[in-house]
Amino acid sequence: MRILLIEDDTVLGAAVRDQITADGHSADWVHRLDAASEHLRTIPYDLVLLDLMLPDGRGIPYLRALRGRGNATPVIILTALDQVSDRIEGLNAGADDYLIKPFDLAELTARIGSVARRYAGNPNPLIQHGDLEIDLAARSVHRAGRLVPLTAREWALFEALLGHPGQLFSKAQLEDKLYAFGAEVESNTIEVHVSRLRKKLGTSVIETERGLGYRLGRG
Amino acid sequence: MRAPASLRGRLALWLGLALVALWLATALLTAGLMRRELDALFDSALQESAERLLPLAVNDVLGRGPADENDEDDPRILGVIAPHDEFLTYVLRDPAGRVLLQSHAVDPAGFPPWDGPGIRSTATLRLYNIAALRDTVRLTVAEPLAHRARIAREALWMLLLPLLVVAPLAFAAIWLALRAGLAPLQRWRERLAARGARDLSPVSAGDLPSELAPIAATLDDVLCRLSAAFEAERSFAANAAHELRTPLAGAIAQAQRLQAETADPAARMRATAMEAALKRLLRVSERLMQLARAEGARLRRDSAADLCPVVRILVEEQGRDAGDERIRLRLPEAAVLSDLDPDALAIILRNLIDNALRHGDPAKPVDVTLTAEGILRVSNDGLPIPPETLARLATRFTRADSRAEGSGLGLAIVATIAERIGSRLQLTSPRPGATSGLTAEMMLPCASDCEVEKRDNRPSHHSASSSAS
Repeated sequence: MRILLIEDDTVLGAAVRDQITADGHSADWVHRLDAASEHLRTIPYDLVLLDLMLPDGRGIPYLRALRGRGNATPVIILTALDQVSDRIEGLNAGADDYLIKPFDLAELTARIGSVARRYAGNPNPLIQHGDLEIDLAARSVHRAGRLVPLTAREWALFEALLGHPGQLFSKAQLEDKLYAFGAEVESNTIEVHVSRLRKKLGTSVIETERGLGYRLGRG
Repeated sequence: MRAPASLRGRLALWLGLALVALWLATALLTAGLMRRELDALFDSALQESAERLLPLAVNDVLGRGPADENDEDDPRILGVIAPHDEFLTYVLRDPAGRVLLQSHAVDPAGFPPWDGPGIRSTATLRLYNIAALRDTVRLTVAEPLAHRARIAREALWMLLLPLLVVAPLAFAAIWLALRAGLAPLQRWRERLAARGARDLSPVSAGDLPSELAPIAATLDDVLCRLSAAFEAERSFAANAAHELRTPLAGAIAQAQRLQAETADPAARMRATAMEAALKRLLRVSERLMQLARAEGARLRRDSAADLCPVVRILVEEQGRDAGDERIRLRLPEAAVLSDLDPDALAIILRNLIDNALRHGDPAKPVDVTLTAEGILRVSNDGLPIPPETLARLATRFTRADSRAEGSGLGLAIVATIAERIGSRLQLTSPRPGATSGLTAEMMLPCASDCEVEKRDNRPSHHSASSSAS
């Protein structure tokens, strides 16, 4: 997933970005709201992590304005505000979930997964696809009862296709989901990940539309 | 007599008294001046009468011829035409003091001896002496002083009588005028009285008279500053928490990343220890912050709001860490309206639940109940706590079991808040109707108009069933 992290604290921001990246998502990290607006205008994000106190404004009015413009990107609030009223206000402003600082990074991973699943229309983390048993919460795939180890990038690619069965993703779209803005991406990276996934999960798991892109196969 | 307590009563009394005193003084002064004028007038009339009378009297005496030796003691009395009261009386005497002529109803003994011409007074009479024929006949005309006094008294009465009628009317007029004039003050007072005790919004001065407007303005100013001070204290607590939490969050997250990224078991152990220490630091600083808030910040809000959503969101948060099935929540169907600050409730509930999770039997659920009457109850199973320990629990830095992890501040914070909102944290062990566990209970301030449902009167059943489960 392509995730926008809006957080001005460099120590926390770096740890959160590394955690997201390690989970196989691509993360763009900005420190200010104006930079966030810039990114949101140009890149279709799957999720936004929003701190509530930023140098150029407060998160809740920003979120309210974002929702007011019709932007429906899932938003998780990261708040150090120790006050219930602020959390209630945040949810009312259109946040999908919130994490109170300090949070466990594992909790962050779980929340991101759960919000993404809710948006994909299937909050159930267990998916049966052909002979594959996929646990989105545990980020694990069993093939014929045997655990198949996936790298973070492979998982992220597979999860992106799983989230929208039948939808065709271009190579560029998939690169966007896997790599942050400005990252060096080898031209054949997606092909490499796809072929590895086919090797691990079965050839028919990903269908190729020649020249157009990829979609989830029958499994 | 005690002065009336009300401003209106005092003003009416003083104004009324001043009015009466002024009236009296004016009447007395007028009477005094009139008396002097009257005296002058009467004196001149007396003199005029004497001068007119003298020639007549002299003629009369001379017409009789020289005085007869025989009838020297028989003064002539002028014939009486008709009986009448005499205002003026007179005697005509010779230098030896013998009475030659007198008015008909007079006692010559009442006249003092001749002492020269002119005007003079005795105790009862005003006299005018005049002599003729080379001082051989002496006329004294007298007017009783009582006559003048009576006229003066009558005049005084005429001046004073209206006061009896006007004074009550004046009192009534003053009273009504004051009532109309002080009506804005009364309305202001009523606006003040109608407010909630913790309402710090400015009172509108309305149409207060200009003398009182500064007082209203000062009060509004004080209220404004008070509410700003509360707000500052509150935002300080919030900002301090934020300033502290962000770097701690960063440090903890970095320690977690280090654990995830390092392949060296020793480094991973150190990172784990670091994380644990940071979390302990966080917990203690958070409790101290809560304690500062509990003691200093504003715990009640201007308006009442439903507590149920706050309790729900807090229980859900605590449930994330504890595991979904560990906390069981019971809320009334109706809203529980209260002016308790949601963040104060958060501190109370988080500490009570934290305490129950930490010290209760980990295999048993924690029950959180909010009744429609505003009673918050958190129960957990576990070994009963001896009464002497129970009594110490709510004091600072006390833990029932010194091996258990905790700051020892949680219940003290809750007790402090309870005291400040006029409630009390009540700890009962074992739970009512059971043989084990602990129940913490406190009454939350509940808006008077919140609906009271009697059906929630079954806490002991609930506790008993959960201990059996």
